[in-house]
Amino acid sequence: MQEINVNRKAFVQRVRKGIWGYVFVSPWVALYIVFGLYPLLLSFFLTFFDYSFVRPENQTFTGIGNWVSALTDPLFWRSVYNIFYNQSIFIFLKNGLGLLIAALIFQVRTGARFFRTIYFMPVVTSVVVLMTIGDYLASPTGPLQTLLVQAGVLGSPVFWKSSNLLPMPVLALINTWKWFGISTVILLAGMYNVSPQLYEAASIDGAGAWQRFRFITLPQLRPQLLFLLTVDLINGLQMFTEVFTTFNIQGGANNQALTPVLYLYREAFDQSNIGYASSLGLVLAIMIAGLTMLQFRIFPSEE
Amino acid sequence: MSNGKRINWTEIICFTLLALGAALVLYPFFYMAMNSVKPGREILHNPTALPSEITFSGYQAVFGELDIMRLFRNSIFLAGSITLINTTFSALAAYAFAKIPFPGRRHLFAYMLSTMMIPGVLFLIPTYVIIYNIGWVGHFEALIIPSAVSVYNIFLLRQFMVTIPDQIVESARIDGASELRIFLGIVLPLSRPALATVAILGFMGSWNDFFGPLLYLNQPENWTVQLGLQMFRGTVPGENAQEIWAATTLITLPLIVLYFVLQEQFVKAFANVSLEK
Repeated sequence: MQEINVNRKAFVQRVRKGIWGYVFVSPWVALYIVFGLYPLLLSFFLTFFDYSFVRPENQTFTGIGNWVSALTDPLFWRSVYNIFYNQSIFIFLKNGLGLLIAALIFQVRTGARFFRTIYFMPVVTSVVVLMTIGDYLASPTGPLQTLLVQAGVLGSPVFWKSSNLLPMPVLALINTWKWFGISTVILLAGMYNVSPQLYEAASIDGAGAWQRFRFITLPQLRPQLLFLLTVDLINGLQMFTEVFTTFNIQGGANNQALTPVLYLYREAFDQSNIGYASSLGLVLAIMIAGLTMLQFRIFPSEE
Repeated sequence: MSNGKRINWTEIICFTLLALGAALVLYPFFYMAMNSVKPGREILHNPTALPSEITFSGYQAVFGELDIMRLFRNSIFLAGSITLINTTFSALAAYAFAKIPFPGRRHLFAYMLSTMMIPGVLFLIPTYVIIYNIGWVGHFEALIIPSAVSVYNIFLLRQFMVTIPDQIVESARIDGASELRIFLGIVLPLSRPALATVAILGFMGSWNDFFGPLLYLNQPENWTVQLGLQMFRGTVPGENAQEIWAATTLITLPLIVLYFVLQEQFVKAFANVSLEK
């Protein structure tokens, strides 16, 4: 009895001593309950109903109907196909170019900082500005196509936005311009961290520049590359603004630029199918979480 | 070094390639600025040429028809208050997690980190339903309150604050300083680099955000620069295209200036790495 009392007293005392700790984390706890935990539960709840803002009183229970519709919706799978088509090109280009530029900057002693500053500049521009510029530069009457037609590379201007195959690769190119600077900076920091002794030892063993890059630099950059791959995929699969600002709400006449989040937006805010849109959100979230875990399994971190 | 000459050649080739690449990266920015003073008809019919005359009609339209000053006021207010509030509350929680030993701290911290695993897209619809029901749609609260504190920023700041020696905090406690006083007077000033990171990411994120304002700020008087630009794009006829480019230039300029002033902090904030050789 005595012992328990002493323990409890000690505990109460520790709580009292740490009382400001509770006070200081309370804003996060409060906000988390309202905008973290509650939405999480609500998103599950909503998937079981037909619910619209226009007629909230007509909320009807549909069971797993929304789930079945989402998983068998050809338009949803079209949007999933589109985003993977886009991301496989984007992630390859962005990180490949980032790696190339980082390797080049690593070689120069004068101007390294200057180049890093320039290459990182597009990162600070907004997506709306990016698409305003990109849309114009790539348009059939824009400067790039005009030059290509004059040079004879293109027979006639290409209307890429209405084509079935081109929107996703072109968007990947535009996004590569904006984002490769992050890869450059992260990979460059990784290269500076590789111990010079490794290179010296390799040189003594007669390894050329390419072999040193292939067998020393690349393996040493594994953690950075894994980090980039993960973040890119999580962000990329949630692409919205790029397509919303450049195509119509269907993602083009043939849904050639429809992304999952654009589809979700359209279902929720254009069609007012809140329950269905919630199901789409949940399916997408599960997909992203699953892929992220898969990535960590394929490329286990060293630690 | 004996092979100094060879290294020099490599460096010259790399430097040349980098310079060419830099020109390509800068080209779109140059284009944007050039088109903002180029007559719209030439933008349409002569896209590759330099302007035959310089016109400021685009900028006049942007200040008149678009009322870009109102967009700027809204964006500065929104990004400014989100940055200030979020940094304050995140730092407060970070300090508790780093320096105040309260029962349950470890578990709460681990739980908080686990909430980061859930992809943001899941929260889109339910958060909208909640904010709609509170009645915040059309008001800045809809964007400010949900971002009043964030897990990632708490984590970043906490990782920095644990490196502050415990003795500093402890001796202030023995001297009778209150926790709030220690936080404001000692820990915050020492955490300046981490605070800069959080503030830069927060300000840039909300300045460049499009989706949030699109969902919640549907009245023109509440539009931010990004939303205003997108709406403006649809209304300008082709022969006045310079107006769009003037707006685009003006919206991009503040961040570019900020970036050049604070470039080291910007790069560190994004890459979350130090760049010392």
